[in-house]
Amino acid sequence: MRDVSMGQYYPTKSPVHKMDARAKLVFVILYIVMLFLVPSLDNYLGGGGRLGEYMVKSGLSFGVVTLFLLVAIIFSKVPLMKVLKSVKAVVYLVIITAVIMLLFYSGKANHVYATWGIITISLEGIVSAIVMAVRLFLLVMGPALLSLTTTPVELTDGIESLLSPLKLIKIPVHDIAIIMSIALRLIPTMIEETDKITNAQKARLAEFDDGNVFKKAKAMIPVLVPLLTSSFRRADELAYAMDSRCYGGAKNRTRMRVMRLSYRDAIALVVIAAVFFAVLTFVYDYFGVATFISEWAYTLL
Amino acid sequence: MSIVIKNLTHVYSPKTPFERIALDDVTFTINDGDYFGIIGHTGSGKSTLISHLNGLIKLTKGSINVNGIDLGKKYDYKKLRSEVGMVFQYPEYQLFDETVESDVSFGPRNMGLSEDEIKDRAAWAIKLVGLNYDKIKNRSPFELSGGQMRRVALAGVLAMRPKVLVLDEPTAGLDPRGKKEILDLTLKIKEQGPTIIMISHNMDEIAAYCNRIAVLGAGKLEGVFSPSELFGQSEIIERLGLALPTPALIAKKLRDRGVSVTASDMDGLVQAVLSAKGGNYA
Ligand SMILES: Nc1ncnc2c1ncn2[C@@H]1O[C@H](COP(=O)(O)OP(=O)(O)OP(=O)(O)O)[C@@H](O)[C@H]1O
Ligand SMILES: [Mg+2]
Repeated sequence: MRDVSMGQYYPTKSPVHKMDARAKLVFVILYIVMLFLVPSLDNYLGGGGRLGEYMVKSGLSFGVVTLFLLVAIIFSKVPLMKVLKSVKAVVYLVIITAVIMLLFYSGKANHVYATWGIITISLEGIVSAIVMAVRLFLLVMGPALLSLTTTPVELTDGIESLLSPLKLIKIPVHDIAIIMSIALRLIPTMIEETDKITNAQKARLAEFDDGNVFKKAKAMIPVLVPLLTSSFRRADELAYAMDSRCYGGAKNRTRMRVMRLSYRDAIALVVIAAVFFAVLTFVYDYFGVATFISEWAYTLL
Repeated sequence: MSIVIKNLTHVYSPKTPFERIALDDVTFTINDGDYFGIIGHTGSGKSTLISHLNGLIKLTKGSINVNGIDLGKKYDYKKLRSEVGMVFQYPEYQLFDETVESDVSFGPRNMGLSEDEIKDRAAWAIKLVGLNYDKIKNRSPFELSGGQMRRVALAGVLAMRPKVLVLDEPTAGLDPRGKKEILDLTLKIKEQGPTIIMISHNMDEIAAYCNRIAVLGAGKLEGVFSPSELFGQSEIIERLGLALPTPALIAKKLRDRGVSVTASDMDGLVQAVLSAKGGNYA
């Protein structure tokens, strides 16, 4: 239960945990953009590129991003298994999609290994399936690390701060953030309450997983009615408590947790900029790096 | 017939950063007919302990035997839960049905009793908790006063005719009179048979009503005592940072001033003071 209340948060002391939530949010956005700098194989070949070049460019780009992610995970002190576990559900999806892509590759393929009816296995299919899988996998890992190292409250504060320019166009960013924080705050309370009421009714021999859908729905009434009444009571109490402490919205409020950028965020910015630049270098072949490496690879083959 | 707990250990969220040992190697026995008190600080594991008794928390380590039902083996949990009635903290927040009578009937109905029997038991339980059955049975539980709601919730458990009644802080949030009413009610209930187990933070209540008291400190059992053992010596109580009941506190202050008296309840205190004065004033 308690784990739910903190989202996925994995509590340890690490440089990544200590980073400013706003910085982490921005970095995760940069990280995601980075993953989409690498074009898909279809587009690359359509633009007149060669398959070998593509393999080198995407390999190098994703390689450097993966390296970056691994370094971030090591610094965060979150066990790698924890990160992998948090994206478990998505992994199955990715694998299934990759297999489908591999078998039914629809683009122009010059290196076909085998065909049975509509199923074609080609080098192009394999490459795009791998690129897709790696991209999606990296895509979920980054935000997963964010939620493992940042509490939901920090995240809300960070989002509020990042969105604050929207106040200029009269969007009530602060109120939205407060509503989000209250909701976050109440989720664990509601779960605990549900637990308590469920136990109390179980003690009176209530059955929750017996019979068909209608029976099950009916069995929920003894839990839902008290849960609703207590939620209303709680909402009232919270509103009174806020009013009696003169809560008046965004104007002139100071914060308990003041977010400050620190040297950690600066270092992280330098690192992520370097990785970003590296990916750009590989994809757009600045300084001929990618060409050089692919030619070197050809001589090896 | 008794509740035998041996080497009970319970860990919440094991093998995670949230791991928490709530009970650590707890062993004791609750006898048939006891009015058994459980005391201890907030977070000492009292609720965790009692939630084991009707199988709401699954036994993971150690053994529990409730009136012959071994919780370590496969058992009929319906039978267990109708034997061990559990009244949680603020039970009035579990009321859900349209009328008082149907809410009280919820437990007996789940036991699979006949409609006549259900009606009989509901009426019996509502009367037992001191409410006017004919007046209240068709009212909505949500339009009652807090104290009445608590009685209705209590009736809902009593209607299952449990052999063991567990009360988790039954007097929390009530005024002094409401407290006394509920406690006297438990004595009335006890006349009907069940063993009573009560968790409380109020030492006066514990000293006045319980015949045996288990003291928990941070998941460990500090011991099981009679009220005079526990409150007479006052070391354990002080070591654990718990309060003494008022009569024991007065006795202690008298001792500190050189009057040799020990007492755990009011009658005992009066007797002790009288005999310390060396006369019989009765
Ligand atoms: N569902 C749960 N998940 C994780 N930890 C829990 C859970 N329930 C209780 N705990 C922890 O186990 C310990 C014992 O809790 P328990 O509720 O048994 O204490 P208690 O003695 O009943 O306290 P109180 O007097 O406040 O009711 C506490 O430290 C608590 O934080
Ligand atoms: Mg408790």
